[in-house]
Amino acid sequence: MTRRIGYLLLPAILPIAVLLGYGIWSIPAQNFYFPPLPEIIGFFRDIWLFDRIGSDLVPSLARMLSAYAISIGLGVPIGLALGFSRLLRTACEPVVEFLRALPAPALIPFALLIFGAGNGSKLFVIVLGAIWPILLNSLDGARGVDRTQLDMARSYQVPRLARLRHIVLPAASPRIFAGMRTSLAIALILMVVSEMVASSHGLGYFVLQAQRSFAIPEMWTGIILLGILGFLLNAIFLRIENRVLFWHRAVTRKRPTKARSEATDA
Amino acid sequence: MLDVSQLRKVYGPDPNAPPAVADLSFTVAEQEFVCILGSSGCGKSTMLRCLSGLDSPTAGEVRLRDRRVTKPPEEMAFVFQDYSRSLLPWMKVRRNVSFPLRYKGVGNRAADDATEEALDAVGLAGKGDLYPWQLSGGMQQRVAIARALAYKPRVLLMDEPFASVDAQTRTGLEDLLLDVWQRYEITVLFVTHDIDEAIYLADRVLVLRAPAQIRHSTTVPLARPRDQLTTKQQPEFGQLRAELFNALDAQPAPA
Amino acid sequence: MRSSVSPAPARFTDLGIRIAGVCTVLAVFELTARTGLLPRAWFPPISEMYLELGKLAFGWPLWVEIGRTLSGWALGIGLAAVLAIPLGIALGTNNLAYRLSKAVIEFLRPVPSVALIPLAVLVYGTGLEMKTFLIAFATFWPILLQTIYGVQGVDPVAMDTARCYGLPQSARFTQIIAPSAAPFIATGLRIASAIALVLAITAELVVGAPGLGQAIIVAQSGANATRMYALIIVAGLLGWALNSCFQFVERRLLRWHPAQRGEEGR
Repeated sequence: MTRRIGYLLLPAILPIAVLLGYGIWSIPAQNFYFPPLPEIIGFFRDIWLFDRIGSDLVPSLARMLSAYAISIGLGVPIGLALGFSRLLRTACEPVVEFLRALPAPALIPFALLIFGAGNGSKLFVIVLGAIWPILLNSLDGARGVDRTQLDMARSYQVPRLARLRHIVLPAASPRIFAGMRTSLAIALILMVVSEMVASSHGLGYFVLQAQRSFAIPEMWTGIILLGILGFLLNAIFLRIENRVLFWHRAVTRKRPTKARSEATDA
Repeated sequence: MLDVSQLRKVYGPDPNAPPAVADLSFTVAEQEFVCILGSSGCGKSTMLRCLSGLDSPTAGEVRLRDRRVTKPPEEMAFVFQDYSRSLLPWMKVRRNVSFPLRYKGVGNRAADDATEEALDAVGLAGKGDLYPWQLSGGMQQRVAIARALAYKPRVLLMDEPFASVDAQTRTGLEDLLLDVWQRYEITVLFVTHDIDEAIYLADRVLVLRAPAQIRHSTTVPLARPRDQLTTKQQPEFGQLRAELFNALDAQPAPA
Repeated sequence: MRSSVSPAPARFTDLGIRIAGVCTVLAVFELTARTGLLPRAWFPPISEMYLELGKLAFGWPLWVEIGRTLSGWALGIGLAAVLAIPLGIALGTNNLAYRLSKAVIEFLRPVPSVALIPLAVLVYGTGLEMKTFLIAFATFWPILLQTIYGVQGVDPVAMDTARCYGLPQSARFTQIIAPSAAPFIATGLRIASAIALVLAITAELVVGAPGLGQAIIVAQSGANATRMYALIIVAGLLGWALNSCFQFVERRLLRWHPAQRGEEGR
């Protein structure tokens, strides 16, 4: 019994040790770049509970989530369409490969030129970076739909649109979700980057500004907040994914898992 | 009721490539149970795809009740070999059965009734709220049969439907199929590579050779209702088995 | 996809369709610029961009910038690989160690790496060291996770077989674990390559480290839109070339894998 509890507690040991170690080391060390833990915690409380939530955190999150929603709204239908039509897929392949390989931050100057320094340019950069994993995974998902399932629906005269809605979309959804998870991380990164380049508020702006004015503990609170944000968004996403794809887990548990699904979720 | 004449199917753009189905002709009568027997790779599946309207033939035609089949007809239902792939894992058993009915112009109420009736007919009453992957292989194939029955077809096409279940389950499914065939008064075209299964089920057995062409045809004189023990012990059963075995094993006749 | 068309002519028509697709996109851009549908100052015709690109390609400065970007890219990935692959093998073979470190990995992985830019600038300045640190931190995670997946995914039957035939530990590693984990590690490196390029460009854009990203910013602030676009195209081509190289290696390593064979057969 105690053994079992010990086994369950195991994952918590290392994080606690790291935190304690840093706390003990940082107070006497008085390192300029690595301020004492209590000081960081104090600053964190002052800044983020709840002083700058409305001015920095909320706009950042709103931008990121709306860009993420646009990426899904565009990426899934385009990806499915490309997965369905061989002609379209072949014609678009070089362009898609190029745009996907283009590092999104390189487009920031371009976005600034067109959209100015407002929300538009930031949304543009985030969407242009986050759309590819969703689009390409939707494409692969649509191509990988089981032929038997489609034949079954056709033999029962299920109309085309219903086949798309009830067979292709659910069958592709494990891949789509894998792409969406990757895109979530990318969207967060690009949110920060876009705010670092041309902005007057937002988390990315806050962190960079703190560093530039040598406000080290403040900078650390921003980094920690971004870390917590990344962790939470990922955790929320996994919960949703587990709920939506419960059938997929049940089915794959019975079959030997293939490497491909893991290998491609970049 | 089902007429196949001069059916020919060649894959790919080259019409002179070796055909998968070559000049196949046969007819199936109303409420007849016909088994098509052939070794693997003889073009059985291609033939079924053409019959069901999933693929269009290169030449020849398929007529169902005097109407030419160009797309999947409404009076036909198809049961695939691989139940784990033809059932949709994201839908409950009940939805899997009723799903095609929604596009057939059947009212919701009638669709629900047909679904429950079909599930009851295959012995799955009360399992409607489970997911397919929570059922055993044999039960999953029964769901696929229920889906076909609920669709109220006149012809049931079955592509080696019991090939991926174990022997024990298989005999049970065979008896279940004979039972619903008689109760629903439908025509069944059943493809298999198992000689015993073909004799046990069919009124008539057709033997195919590659590329799909009728090599041999025989009527099964065994009385109905049939029984797994007594029917298979009759001397005619043994004779038929030998006859079909030879027909399957024979060298392809010179063209 | 469905009909098995003979492969040789299909490949030619595919190439034709691809070229047609690219040409369509280029022509649309050219026309919108020439007709003045988009403001000329912001959108020079695409032919001018390629002319500029050609001019740049014949001069040294472009190659120097590419070299600067790539040196950070290579050092960062190299450092990450040297650290992550052995650690991944250790964690993949030792379940206790894996459970111990799981929480730390799960927490640190989603931290947006760009949040560390200010810290990196403080500690390492704005040069190559800073870029290397950022890239190494960001690419460490995908390489580590793919290595763990790869090692954990070794077919237990293969391992049992090896044990039955009395293969020594070292042979089990070189003959079974290494070959079956290699494609996963290759995938990790491909993902890392894309991330590294994004971070290299970001670091150059945000803090002005020398390289392609900085050149783009310079062109933009100098109101030289044509050069800016030419450089963005260079960034895309660079990403595309790197991705293609890694994909090629990955395909070769994965040749034995059933999923890959199926893909090729399709």
